[in-house]
Amino acid sequence: MPAFIVSVTAPDRTGIVAGVTAALRDLGGNITHLNQTVVRGYFTIMLSVDLPEGVDAEAITARVAASAPEGELRVGVMPFREGAPPVPSPADRFVLAILGRDRPGIIARVTAYLAEQGINIEDFTATVVAGDLVLIFGVRVPASLEITHVQRSIETVGREFGITATLQHENIFRATSEVRAVRTLA
Amino acid sequence: MLPAENILTTVRMLQDEHLDVRAVTLGIDLFPCADRDPDTLCRLARERILRCAGGIQEACQRTAQRYGIPIVNRRIAISPAADLLAGHSPEALLHFAQMLDAVAEETGVDFIGGYSAQVQKGMTSSDRALIESLPAVLSDTTHVCASVNAASSHAGINMDALLLLGRVIREMAERTAERDGFACAKLCLFANQPEDNPFMAGAYRGIGEPECVVNIGVSGPGVVKRAIERARQSGERLSLGDIAEEIKLTAFRVTRVGELIGREVAALLGAEFGIVDLSLAPTPEIGDSVGEILEVMGVRHVGGPGSTAALALLNDAVKKGGAFASSSVGGLSGAFIPVAEDAALAAAVEAGHLRLEKLEAMTAVCSVGLDMIALPGDTSAETLAALAADELAIGVVNRKTTAVRLVPVPGKRAGERAVFGGLFGESPILAVPNGASDAFVALGGRIPAPLVSLNN
Repeated sequence: MPAFIVSVTAPDRTGIVAGVTAALRDLGGNITHLNQTVVRGYFTIMLSVDLPEGVDAEAITARVAASAPEGELRVGVMPFREGAPPVPSPADRFVLAILGRDRPGIIARVTAYLAEQGINIEDFTATVVAGDLVLIFGVRVPASLEITHVQRSIETVGREFGITATLQHENIFRATSEVRAVRTLA
Repeated sequence: MLPAENILTTVRMLQDEHLDVRAVTLGIDLFPCADRDPDTLCRLARERILRCAGGIQEACQRTAQRYGIPIVNRRIAISPAADLLAGHSPEALLHFAQMLDAVAEETGVDFIGGYSAQVQKGMTSSDRALIESLPAVLSDTTHVCASVNAASSHAGINMDALLLLGRVIREMAERTAERDGFACAKLCLFANQPEDNPFMAGAYRGIGEPECVVNIGVSGPGVVKRAIERARQSGERLSLGDIAEEIKLTAFRVTRVGELIGREVAALLGAEFGIVDLSLAPTPEIGDSVGEILEVMGVRHVGGPGSTAALALLNDAVKKGGAFASSSVGGLSGAFIPVAEDAALAAAVEAGHLRLEKLEAMTAVCSVGLDMIALPGDTSAETLAALAADELAIGVVNRKTTAVRLVPVPGKRAGERAVFGGLFGESPILAVPNGASDAFVALGGRIPAPLVSLNN
């Protein structure tokens, strides 16, 4: 079965997910992956759906858009193509936490550094709490990098913006937050 | 990904609240090195320590960097020296202690413990020789720590040993008079001494322990204090039960950090992971104090009314949180109240709020005992023995560990200041009230073990 990646953005209200998933069901689809969030009152969903042969991107867009009043949903559809699987390189999950006064350009600067080093961002949330910016990145740091060097560089980037930036192995956060045996943390 | 709030709580614990791993202590069985020839024994012991602990610096450094958690002290704990060196001469004992000091230097550890004897029921000639060697050993070495278990709930209290130790403590103080009797800070007397305690001066590798084992002591008074402060500042009306809940949750997190670090260091060293000691171990730094925790709970001055109850709540909540966090919990596991090492306690003594009698009462509900107590230089051996007996009696009767680290400061009187430096801190000298009990101590013998029935 061909698969498609579907994204939908809209001002948030109750019932969007029900409408979108019903539309996909009616096309004969089966959802295999999904992630949904709301940012400042705007809803976004991203999913992967398997559909019967013959259903194309245009048909999906039309059917999903029709699940809501006209013009409400912004729908994006692209065919999923199985690429060559990325060559697995040993890389541990680290958490990069950035806290401090919000200033334009922080995210661009930090992510530019991560990209330069080949550090992939797997999750990322940014919020403002009481005027302070809180950025939390879940990143994978290749084992080939010297972790103390990366930590120091990131702290230096933080200092440029007058914010604190810390990079620590994810297990420390899982150990202190999850109810599971420490020995099971890989 | 974990919720941002959880991540921020942990980041805060590490960045602002002094959470660190206080001690990574590697226990090493040295009994296979026993030999009639003292030189052979020393050589074998040195080789074995280097083999097991040679990589301790690097293992700790790697782990600390990976997780962003400072490891403050690295330590080695050996099999009790009195047994390992049974039958050897006083010269051999001193030679062995000097080897320990040198090997501590070589491996880069801060302390090496286990220059120890167990004499709760009686003393062998080897035990006596070790105790008598303490003034020379602890004044001539830098890193060696000693401990003597002089009482237990099963055997009672060995008063003869305590009087001997009283004399030894006085001599140790005299030999290090220029450092306010600092050698005494490296000797701990115990009732019910734990075999897996990672904290000095009382760490040794117990008889029933694995061959090579990593035990972890976490710190965290600062973290607990801030958690209570935050809860109190939230505007919500809190009961003591709510505060206990906050402490429990914090202890959970602190313990988990300890286990994670302990397992990783043990794996890197090829050793077994032993236990996390849940003790809240203060440092002289402001904000890292058990005394300050009692104050944020609303006790106006540490030592004032309510201090013992607040400490009991704290101690119990820490254990509950820690025991759920890990099944590998042991050692001393309680709040420490070492006066010289805790700025708020030292200040309370200075201000006259905290006296020896109240400290003793507080140790009935927490770990460890009369710890790092500076006393007038003219405190007699008999009085030192009687003070130790009082504290050990609390442990013996309540079937818990209690310990005593007393420092009679040569040439100084009550109210003057003793300065030990570094993590050992400083403190005003406490008065010993109500005269001497020499005649009681002079009776000697053993205070019998307490009854375990008729518990009223």
